[in-house]
Amino acid sequence: MTTTAAIPKDSQGSLERVMCYLQGKKPQRVACFPLILNHAARVHGISVGTYNRNGKAMGQSHVSAFRRYGNDLILIFSTTSTLAESMGTKMNFFEEDAPQIAESFIKQHSDLSKVKVPDFNKDGRLPVYMEATEVAVKEVGSEVCVSTVFGGPFTTAAALYPVELLTRELIKNPKWVHELLEVCTQAGIKFIDEILARKALPIIVEPIGSASLVSPKHFREFVTPYLKRLSDHVHNVGGGMPAVLHICGKTTPNWTPMLESGFDIWSLDNVDLGQAKAAAGHRVALVGNVVPANLLKNTPEEIDAEARGICGKMGDKAGFILGSGCEVPINTPPENIDALINAARKYGRYDN
Amino acid sequence: MTRERGDILKDLMDGVFLMNEELVIKAANEIVAAKYDAYDAINNGLIAGMNQAGVLFDKEEYFVPELLICSDAMYTGIEILRPHLKKSDKREQVKVVIGVVEGDTHDIGKNLVKIMMDAAGFEVHDLGRNVPLASFVEKAKEVGADLICLSTLMTTTMDGMATIIEMLKEEGIRDSYKVIIGGGPISQAFANKIGADGYADNAAGAIKISRSLLAKAAA
Repeated sequence: MTTTAAIPKDSQGSLERVMCYLQGKKPQRVACFPLILNHAARVHGISVGTYNRNGKAMGQSHVSAFRRYGNDLILIFSTTSTLAESMGTKMNFFEEDAPQIAESFIKQHSDLSKVKVPDFNKDGRLPVYMEATEVAVKEVGSEVCVSTVFGGPFTTAAALYPVELLTRELIKNPKWVHELLEVCTQAGIKFIDEILARKALPIIVEPIGSASLVSPKHFREFVTPYLKRLSDHVHNVGGGMPAVLHICGKTTPNWTPMLESGFDIWSLDNVDLGQAKAAAGHRVALVGNVVPANLLKNTPEEIDAEARGICGKMGDKAGFILGSGCEVPINTPPENIDALINAARKYGRYDN
Repeated sequence: MTRERGDILKDLMDGVFLMNEELVIKAANEIVAAKYDAYDAINNGLIAGMNQAGVLFDKEEYFVPELLICSDAMYTGIEILRPHLKKSDKREQVKVVIGVVEGDTHDIGKNLVKIMMDAAGFEVHDLGRNVPLASFVEKAKEVGADLICLSTLMTTTMDGMATIIEMLKEEGIRDSYKVIIGGGPISQAFANKIGADGYADNAAGAIKISRSLLAKAAA
């Protein structure tokens, strides 16, 4: 069933397709957001290490990936800890993998006074992100939506102070956690401004707010109020840009406080997307959720079947964008990404 | 005046389960002062409390923060009682080697499984994160493990799990251990594919599958 003949051709471009969602019109077919992040280095033929340290290379990698795949969203991204890195957390770098936290900045509670909103022109790898964003917008910004992704306040806090300690403090020392989240929120607001100034879409990822780690009660107390300030800021100064939130892993128990966070688009991972549509589809558009490990391991036929199953759950497909649940694994075979996007062409038609 | 053993055990259990470390410390010291059996207090007080916390975790009433604080309280109590254990209390325990496979430094999932296994009374040998594949095999042989638990959050490192199973086969010792795997990108299908004995998608599930595999092996 996956013959070329069975794949309808697109006569609508990526940017136009995505704009339809924002303008409340029906696109020709559902958009497709495979979350291509570090994998872009592979497409461009450079090491993941170079991608992560060189803004021009990072931007051009995403241009190459868009040219290769025709994905409907570019996501400039390195790690969920990049904002924390610019605020003092040390990272380990690898030639063929994404950077990982080496040493959290905050060692003791009093270190909080040293945590500052970063300078986007010089701190950590923020200049890499800014340059990558500029390169991608300049080269393909008229054809496809370019976004830049950063960790939300709770995720940034967990990268500044080890997550196994931070989670204990939610119960033992909530006031201190709120003070930390305040600085992380101010850094996030600045991030939004810097990305909007470069004519790209800021996207917030809050994986540490997954229900694997925090309860709905803690989400409402420590995650919602700060995310809400970021979504409000996008709405106030974004000139019609939507507020987009990605949370990996299991989120189902936290959907109610997530709704209170005021976002327009959710990108979800390990959940039943049909259930998410029933619970939140009246308020948010949904992106998801082919299993990332399947993209790495399965055949194109299996990806096609999985994506078809997801499309089938989404009823009238209004406010639905096909995508991967989380980052497309670095070594994913290109034909599996093709299979995912082709599935949007085949099973996501609005014009029949 | 010395309180009844049952009343103190209830305080140990409640102290762990309700995250009240002060109550645990007070009750553990009472056990010591009254010369009640320390082994009994650990098992029927502290570990019973942790098991109750595990039930709530299963029901999604407790989450990671609550579980971590319960476990802190449990360990505080164990530290107070340990010097008062009798030699005969050290019975044969289920031995587990656990770690995050090479290339991955995300270890919160592994740590949760470790906490639950400690609480279940398993003897846990934690190799940490980013563990060279051969170390799992060496450690399992060294301690005479019953279970090898492998974790990864990254898709780039999951194939290392298959390599470890191959290493066990090459040494002709595959059947000496039960291998269970878990982590973000891992699925039952992947476990089947690489020939792991079990898969769990959360910490409580890891205990359940371990117990059922060991029960089957014993039968």
